[in-house]
Amino acid sequence: MSAPDDLTIRGLRKVFFPGTANEVVALDGIDLEVPAGQFVTIIGSNGSGKSTLLNAVGGTFPLTAGSVLLGGRDVTKQAEHVRSRSIGRVFQDPRAGTAPSMTIEENLAMSLLRSRRSGLGMGVTNKRREVMRTQLSRLGMGLEGRLKAGVNKLSGGQRQAMSLLMATIAEPSLLLLDEHTAALDPKVAATIMELTGEIVTERRLTTLMVTHNMELALRYGDRLIMMHAGHVVLDIGSEQKQALAVPDLIEKFHEVAGEAFAVDRMLLDT
Amino acid sequence: MDVIIQGALEQGLVYCFMVLGVFITFRVLDFPDLTVDGSLPLGAAVTAALIVNGHSPLVATAAGVGAGICAGTVTGFLHVLLKSGESESANYGPKLLAGILTMTALYTVNLRIMGRSNTPLLGVEVIFDKLGAVFSVSMIGWNLILAVAALAIVVKYFLDWLLHTEFGLTLQATGDNEQMIRALGTNTNFTRIVGLALANGLVALSGSLVAQQQGFADVGMGIGTIVAGLAGVIMGEVLFGVRSISWVLFSVIGGSIVYRLLIAISLRLGIAPTDLKLLTAVLVVIALSVPTVRKKVVRQ
Repeated sequence: MSAPDDLTIRGLRKVFFPGTANEVVALDGIDLEVPAGQFVTIIGSNGSGKSTLLNAVGGTFPLTAGSVLLGGRDVTKQAEHVRSRSIGRVFQDPRAGTAPSMTIEENLAMSLLRSRRSGLGMGVTNKRREVMRTQLSRLGMGLEGRLKAGVNKLSGGQRQAMSLLMATIAEPSLLLLDEHTAALDPKVAATIMELTGEIVTERRLTTLMVTHNMELALRYGDRLIMMHAGHVVLDIGSEQKQALAVPDLIEKFHEVAGEAFAVDRMLLDT
Repeated sequence: MDVIIQGALEQGLVYCFMVLGVFITFRVLDFPDLTVDGSLPLGAAVTAALIVNGHSPLVATAAGVGAGICAGTVTGFLHVLLKSGESESANYGPKLLAGILTMTALYTVNLRIMGRSNTPLLGVEVIFDKLGAVFSVSMIGWNLILAVAALAIVVKYFLDWLLHTEFGLTLQATGDNEQMIRALGTNTNFTRIVGLALANGLVALSGSLVAQQQGFADVGMGIGTIVAGLAGVIMGEVLFGVRSISWVLFSVIGGSIVYRLLIAISLRLGIAPTDLKLLTAVLVVIALSVPTVRKKVVRQ
């Protein structure tokens, strides 16, 4: 178990397919300081680099240039699975965060073991079951009584709630949420988002949340970042954020992006 | 009929470790591992060569298993080398190629170990003789079946335990959702290598026991092992169910016995032994395509 850490990103660049006709500069020199415990929401149109930024921090691929520091430690060269011991992640696809043919308790046991090497002790123990029941009951989905059920029997919302729980249960240094409510129906998405807000605030987790939904980006978190073409084009703090509404954000986008703003259906989606 | 059943039980049980190995790679790790066609005769070759050179059959059997573990490890490393990037758990190309390379290399290794293509084990003490001496019975017929069945149960419970340890859960998750378990801090290259080593150790154990039971090791005895293993796994799953890992491990052992029973019956019905591999392949194709065909029929 580790405490939330601060995150520093310096001169981050990521070029996909360098030297080919398909070359894409996804991130073009990102500098970002996130103090421990801060909840940052990240918005931007499709292809702006917001998901790439999360993957770069999570270690999905090697960087073209720049460095990532977590709690002052340089993790740039660390393999994804090593970095993952202190970073919790939830993906857009509810199927991505859980092992479908394993049981609820087996999935949660694996998430409890995150920060250390797995040994030859039993994976699911009664002591761990207690922790699981307590944690599951806060989801309010009745999963605490179904520990032995297969995860493939759960709905998308239930699976995403479990993914969220599994990403946060071992107190990560950093939490990365990549449009984790976008694939859910609106009612379920609202429940998961509320739960996210509660867990992040309560545990004071350092969090980066990518979303397409401007309203969510304004309502949640203490800092908002807008990305465009691989750059951070807007970075506003908590107080400013509270004074803003969705139309203001769109206007801001016009200002900073400085180009005709094609109506992006997803971006306007609230 | 009695003879057929007894023969099928004997064959089904000595081969059940191989079927368990195929279950671990094919089902648990989602890794169609072709190494098994080479690691089965490897276990047989190592054991036979050591016994013929005067070593204890216990040591020879253990060495056979050890050789299988090494073969699986090699396939695991080759896979790490061959896969180009990350997050491509559904890409079977590198997995198949890694297995094929090891399997092909093992053909030479097996010939080198034995120094010829066939090593008879007649008139030498094999593991069953040793065991029989301990209990002062002769290890043939039902005594042999009981002895191998006891070993099968021990191995079954060992796997059951292992797959439910902390490490075992990460092993299962490697085949079930690799992205997820990597995001939880597990090095899936490592878990996959250990799984392949374990599985091929089991396959080699079958090879070693088969050689000692039939009285010879042959460099060609591994041909079609993967298909026979799949047939056992699928029959076990279909006939006895898959309700949990503990249960399915028994199902798979049952599948191994049923498969050998079908072979024995086919032979009795006058099918030539050389036609059996084609028959098995057709059987596996039918069993594997049932879900696809059923879906198509339902849609119409």
